[in-house]
Amino acid sequence: MSVEWQSALQSVIHHPLFGIGITLGAYQLVLAGYEKTRWIFLQPVLASMLLVIGVLVSCGLTYDEYRKSTDILSILLGPATVALAVPLFLNLRRIRQLFWPIFTTLVIGGVFATGLVVLLAWWFGAEHMVLMTLAPKSVTSPIAMLVAEQIGGVAALAAVFVLITGVIGAIFGPPLLNLLKVHSPEARGMALGMTAHAVGTSVALHEGEEAGAFAALAMSLMGVGTAVFLPLAVTLVV
Amino acid sequence: MLLRGLTWLVLFQLLGTALNHLFIPVLPGPIIGLLLLLVYLLVCGQVSEPLNEAAKGLLRYLPLLLVPPAVGVMVYAADIAADFWAIAGALVLSLLISMAFVGVLMQRLLKPHANREERP
Repeated sequence: MSVEWQSALQSVIHHPLFGIGITLGAYQLVLAGYEKTRWIFLQPVLASMLLVIGVLVSCGLTYDEYRKSTDILSILLGPATVALAVPLFLNLRRIRQLFWPIFTTLVIGGVFATGLVVLLAWWFGAEHMVLMTLAPKSVTSPIAMLVAEQIGGVAALAAVFVLITGVIGAIFGPPLLNLLKVHSPEARGMALGMTAHAVGTSVALHEGEEAGAFAALAMSLMGVGTAVFLPLAVTLVV
Repeated sequence: MLLRGLTWLVLFQLLGTALNHLFIPVLPGPIIGLLLLLVYLLVCGQVSEPLNEAAKGLLRYLPLLLVPPAVGVMVYAADIAADFWAIAGALVLSLLISMAFVGVLMQRLLKPHANREERP
C-alpha cells in the first residue's frame, strides 16, 4: 500500500503541470492573503517565490525541472513586455507635454542610480565580477542579463539582483514616496519604473493607470538607455 | 478578440527578435517589439479593441509571470551568501536613495507645469 502511495506521489510531483500548478496556487494564495491583511510583506512576487521554493525544496525538485515545466509562463513574459506599449501610448499626450521633466529626471536619475550602486558595493568591498553584475540592476531582467554579460558580470546572477531590487522597491517604494510627500502619479510612476523596473511597474499599475503608464515609460527608457550607454561607460572608465 | 490581440503582440515580439539578431544585439527582442508597437500605434493614432483587451489581460498577470524567473534565486544561494552584506547593503541603500531622489526630482520638475495648467 505504502509503495503505491509513493509512486503516485512521485508521478504527481514530476508531472509537467506540477510547476504551473504550484505557481498558480501560491500566487492566488498570496493574493487572497494580501487582500485580507494588506500586509506589505505579502508582495505577490516575493511571497509566491518563497512559497514555490519551499514546495520545491520539500519535494526534492531542482530549479531546472521547475523552470522547464513553467516555460509557458516565461514565454508569455515577452508579449507582456511588448504589451506595455499600450498604456504608454494611451498616456502619450500627457507624457509629451512633460517631455523635459521626464528627460531630465531620466538622465540625472539614471546616472545617479547606476553610479550609486556600484560605488556603494565597491565601498563595501564587493569584487569586480559582483560590481559589474550589480550595475544594471535597475532595468528589466532580459536587458540586465545581456548588459551584465557584456561588461564582465554573470547573467543569471544579474537576474537575481534585478529581482531583489524590484521586490525591495515594491515593498518600500510606495511608503517611502508617501513619506517624502511625492503624491503626483507621474512622479510616483517614474520613481517606481526607473528604479524597480517590471515589479515596480506592476505596483504602479495597481496604483492607477497614469502612474502605470509613467512607470512603463520610465522602465523602457531606462532599459534602452542602460543597454546603450552602460557598456560604453564601462569601456571608457575601466 | 483576445486571440487576435495576442497574435499582434506575438508578431511584434517576433519582429523585434528578428531585428535583434540582424542589427541590434544590445537590445533584447521584447524591448525592440515594445518600441515597434509604440511606433505603430503612433502611426495609427489609436489602439484597436482586440489589442487593448489582450494587453490589459496580460499586464494584469505580470506579477504571476515574474514568479518563475524569481525562483531562480535558489540556484545562487551560495554565491549570494558569500558577498551577502556588500550586495544587500548596496542594493537596499542605492534603491531607497535613488527612488527618493527620482521621485522628489520629478515632482519638483513637474511643479511649473502644474501651475501653468491651472491658469486660464
